[in-house]
Order: sequence, then structure tokens, then C-alpha cells
Amino acid sequence: MKEVPVKIEVEGSWVVSKIGIGDDRIHIFEPVNKDILLKSIVDLEERKNTLRIETKGTPPPVYKVASVPKVLAALKRIIIMSCTAYRLMAYFMSPAVRGGVLVKDAAWEKGAIAVLKTGIWFVSQQKQICIPLEDVSDIELTKREVNAKKTDVVKIDHVEGGGVSTSYVLCPLTTLQVLYNFLKDSTKEMDMEGNELDPVAAQVSMLVYSGMDSSAIEKMLAISNDELETVFEALLNLGIVEVVRTRREVQLTTKGVRFVTDAAKNP
Amino acid sequence: MGRILIVDDTMFMRTLVKNILFSGGHDIVGEAEDGAQAVEMYNKLKPDLVTMDVVMPKMNGIEALKSIRAADPKARVIMCTAVGQEQMVKLAIKNGAKGYIVKPFQAPKVIEEVNNVLNP
Repeated sequence: MKEVPVKIEVEGSWVVSKIGIGDDRIHIFEPVNKDILLKSIVDLEERKNTLRIETKGTPPPVYKVASVPKVLAALKRIIIMSCTAYRLMAYFMSPAVRGGVLVKDAAWEKGAIAVLKTGIWFVSQQKQICIPLEDVSDIELTKREVNAKKTDVVKIDHVEGGGVSTSYVLCPLTTLQVLYNFLKDSTKEMDMEGNELDPVAAQVSMLVYSGMDSSAIEKMLAISNDELETVFEALLNLGIVEVVRTRREVQLTTKGVRFVTDAAKNP
Repeated sequence: MGRILIVDDTMFMRTLVKNILFSGGHDIVGEAEDGAQAVEMYNKLKPDLVTMDVVMPKMNGIEALKSIRAADPKARVIMCTAVGQEQMVKLAIKNGAKGYIVKPFQAPKVIEEVNNVLNP
């Protein structure tokens, strides 16, 4: 069993430890001293230099591991390839489009796709990319030109660092359909009928997507602040947007008027 | 910073692109609402860059791209189209497009793409 240095979170504190990596299990050394069968792992999340490993159980035991990127990459790879997940071998391109702009050096990579409890993992020799399911904004079974031939692919739109990116998965059609259905089911709470928004609200959504602030939206659509507030309220109620900042409008107090008047007298 | 011609058949999209590029410090020298008007305005205004919608009445974006590039092989055109029309990428690139933007798009990425094309 290969041993690697890590830090483990124990009762809210990080302690130095080691992890042994075997074919079917990992072993966390003292002070945890625990064998974890890879098959018992049901979820893996990555945050900065930390992995959150969730295993079967009630409540599900969770282990948080921190280490250098090389160690985490080895751990991720073995966990993703052996844990309990919907997994398939496929080609993927991630990201192919970022913020609406095609990524010029995007290429198909051969590897594995694993759908875990909280995310979709793309794993190849060079890459380990995770798309959290809560960040998936759209999934579509569509066609894309691959080697001059229209080919079925699954297109996944996801929010990444505040922007929207698109990734593609390519594999035999029957497998794609299973993947598509699985992902659709995993993200069904985000589905909408498509008729919830009136044309103005739809345009406002598009402008918010493009990064316009409320002042720019009012000018572009020639609507008042009150009208925009009504649209925002509707979008908030549908869970389409969230408030990131409340803009304030102020007027001068008597003290302020005096200050401005005095300032004008003494330029 | 560049002098840019925006081509799109919907005023909404033209206004959006104009706002984005203006916020990126670019000058919008003209707006065209179809391919034929785009070719005419390109020849007249000689912009540094064109953002070109693909699906438009009268003359589509690909045809307009071909005409502009035939008259000025150094013309820099970024194609701009809706989701699901990505197959047009190859055709546009083959005909000399310097970049490709898929709607809906995000302002910082559009500005980045335009800047990359203007300053390769």
C-alpha cells in the first residue's frame, strides 16, 4: 500500500496524518485509523486543496483531506475510478465554450465520466475536472460535428467562477441517452416550463446573464426603476436570480445642503 | 481600443453588444441589421473589427463575411450566433472569421475575445 502525507480534519482541526492507497481501499492512519473501502465512497468534492470524501452510512461519514495537488490528484483518480457512481468511458471536451466564446485549444480527451452525488467528474490522464451538479444550468442531447461527421453528444452548461461554460461528452448513443436521463433527473429541480417569463423579463434575464447592472438594463430597455424592480421581484420568486447588492438612492439632509452650498461658495 | 461595426438583425442584441464593447473601451462606428448593409458599411467605415450575427435576412453572416474578406483579406470578423448553430463555426473559420461567440454570452469574455482578435 502506497503511503502519502496528508492533513485530516478531526473535530474541526487539521492534523497531520498519512493515507495509504490500496487497490480496493484507502487507509487513513492515526489519529483516525480507518480503512475505507473505495466502493463505500458515494461522493467526492474538491474545494481548493481539500477533498471531501463521503461514504455510505447513516449519517454518512465524511472525511476531509488536505494535501499538495499531486497527492490529491492521485487520490481523486483512484476514488473516482473505483467509488460507487454512475461511470462510463467516454470522450469529453471541457470546457469547450466559456462565457459564449469558443475555447480555441479545446480538444476531445479520452477518459472516464463519473456522476457522483454532488458532481460530474471528467477524468483523463492529464485532467480531473469536477462540475458540481448545483452549477449545471442546462443539459442537452444534441449533435456536434466531430471529424466532419454529425455526432450525438451531451452538452452540459455550467456556472464556473461566475461565468458560464459548456462541456461536451461523446460516447455511443445508447450510453449518451442513459447519461442524459441520469443528469436530467439529478438536476430536475432546475427545470422550468419555459413560459414563466414575459418578453421583458426574458430580456432582463439575458442582460443579467451578460453582466449588465440595473442601471444599464433600465437604459437599454427604456424602463423605469419601478418596472425593473417588478421584473426582479418576479425573477427572484422564480429562483432565477439572487440579490448580490442593493443600490441606494439618497437625498441631501440640511447638513448636506449646507456643505454643498458652502463648497460652491469656496471653489 | 478598436473601431467596431456591429451586425445583428435584432436591435436588442445590437444594443447589448454595443454596451458590452463600449464598456470595454471600444468605439462603435456603426450598426448594420443585415449582411448587405454590413458589407456596405464595412466598405465605407473600414472598422478595425466586425461582430457579425450569422442568421440574418437579405444576406446572412457567412455570405457577408465572404464579401467583406474578398474586398479586404485583412478584415477581422468575429461571428456571433445562437446556441445550437455551432456547426457554423467551421464554415465561418474556413471563410476567414477570426473568432466565434455563442449567444447568450458574457461581457468579460466578449471583451476578451475582441481584444485578442484586435491584438493577437
